[in-house]
Amino acid sequence: MKKVTVRVCSGTTCFVMGASNLQMLHEYVPEELRDWVDIQGAHCLELCRDRNYGAAPYITIDDEIVAEADLSLILERIEQRVRG
Amino acid sequence: MPESVFVDIDMYQITKRGQNICGDAFITRKIAEEQRAIAVLSDGLGSGVKASILANMTASMAMKFVAGNMEFLHSAEIMMEALPICQVRKISYATFTIVDCRASGEAHIIEMGNPGCLCMRGSRPLELESRLMESPRWEKRTMRFSRLHTRPGDRIIFFSDGITQAGMGTDAFKLGWRREGCRDFIAGALASSPHMSSRKLAREIVGEALRKEPATVAGDDMSCGVFYFRHPRALVLLTGPPFDRGSDRRFVDMLRDARGRKVVCGGTTAGIVARELGVLIETPLPRARTDIPPVSRVAGVDLATEGILTLTRAAQYLEQGRPADHSNAAADLVELFLESDIIHFVVGTRINEAHQDPTLPVDLEIRRNIVKRIAALLEHRYLKEVRIQYI
Ligand code: FES
Repeated sequence: MKKVTVRVCSGTTCFVMGASNLQMLHEYVPEELRDWVDIQGAHCLELCRDRNYGAAPYITIDDEIVAEADLSLILERIEQRVRG
Repeated sequence: MPESVFVDIDMYQITKRGQNICGDAFITRKIAEEQRAIAVLSDGLGSGVKASILANMTASMAMKFVAGNMEFLHSAEIMMEALPICQVRKISYATFTIVDCRASGEAHIIEMGNPGCLCMRGSRPLELESRLMESPRWEKRTMRFSRLHTRPGDRIIFFSDGITQAGMGTDAFKLGWRREGCRDFIAGALASSPHMSSRKLAREIVGEALRKEPATVAGDDMSCGVFYFRHPRALVLLTGPPFDRGSDRRFVDMLRDARGRKVVCGGTTAGIVARELGVLIETPLPRARTDIPPVSRVAGVDLATEGILTLTRAAQYLEQGRPADHSNAAADLVELFLESDIIHFVVGTRINEAHQDPTLPVDLEIRRNIVKRIAALLEHRYLKEVRIQYI
């Protein structure tokens, strides 16, 4: 198991495009993974400026950028990263 | 008012239980050309709609006459004649308190029928020089004319009789809270918070009056208005990146060098500020779900929020009167606005580059319009001094 840092963008674009639903992300992380995930907020990550990253909302898991992030996608990626 | 004095005017009122409209009217007006501020509080006979109409008629007539510098005794006769007379009590219409203050610091107070106003120098009550006048045509309707040469730190506090008569008939307050009770309460409140804003003081007075009422139910309409003469409290708000990147430094200097409170609205803007100040931005996730983005922390800045969504919500709160009691970035922002006297908006005009979704409501025009909307509300409804600067 490996500890990961998740940053949820709450800039205007991401918030409007769905990050408003990710504010309570920590509540959805399965019990057994909670100690391994550090969830933080972020102001605009400036990814929305660039067409190369796909669509908002964005989150990052360590140095990985996840575009069009919704709950199930984020949880799946967290699980993969933590379990290595 | 001399240059460095600002008059913070605000009021608070609650409506008699069981009525859905308040029978006290409170109107204010600032006449910029004359550097003059006027407020009128009128209490309509009885309660409910009829009282409200009487009070509003009285208050707007009084405001017209005073603002137009008409000879007041004569004006008062016209008002009394225009208003209906209560058949039972043979008294007319509504009462009024008028506070009129000018650039020189000179305040004039005209009162008829309302409890006498209180003037405080810091937490000490002041005696007013007054003159009584009666219209030969309207006996028993004595008007009291008073004058006060105000200094920074002075307050003029006035209320409807719902406040002074609060608790009347209860064992503890047979004659009600009375003007003396109210005065002692105010002296105590100001001794412990000498810089209390008019908004807070008016609320505290009405709240205290309500606590005197049996079962804390308002037995009458209760209104309280406050004029507070003080050195102005400034707020500077930066929103949007400057048009020219070369201006970033100057833009941030306007924040850094400003006196008073500092606010940044917008992620890109916060980024520029943090970079120029050499500090970090921290954005904790909120504890509870909110429908606008959370606040960030930037050292040297009192409040950092997201831009358009937060400003839009703040405008809504200002339009609705008071912010809802929940706490979010927009409510925090409104709180800071209301606790300030002079508000300076610095609006960056760089187009937010390449937003991926052209339908998103993020563009310069929106930012400009929302700032204008907030500025107009602050200036006209909340009587703030507002300046907008584009960079
Ligand atoms: S708002 Fe999320 S990257 Fe810009």
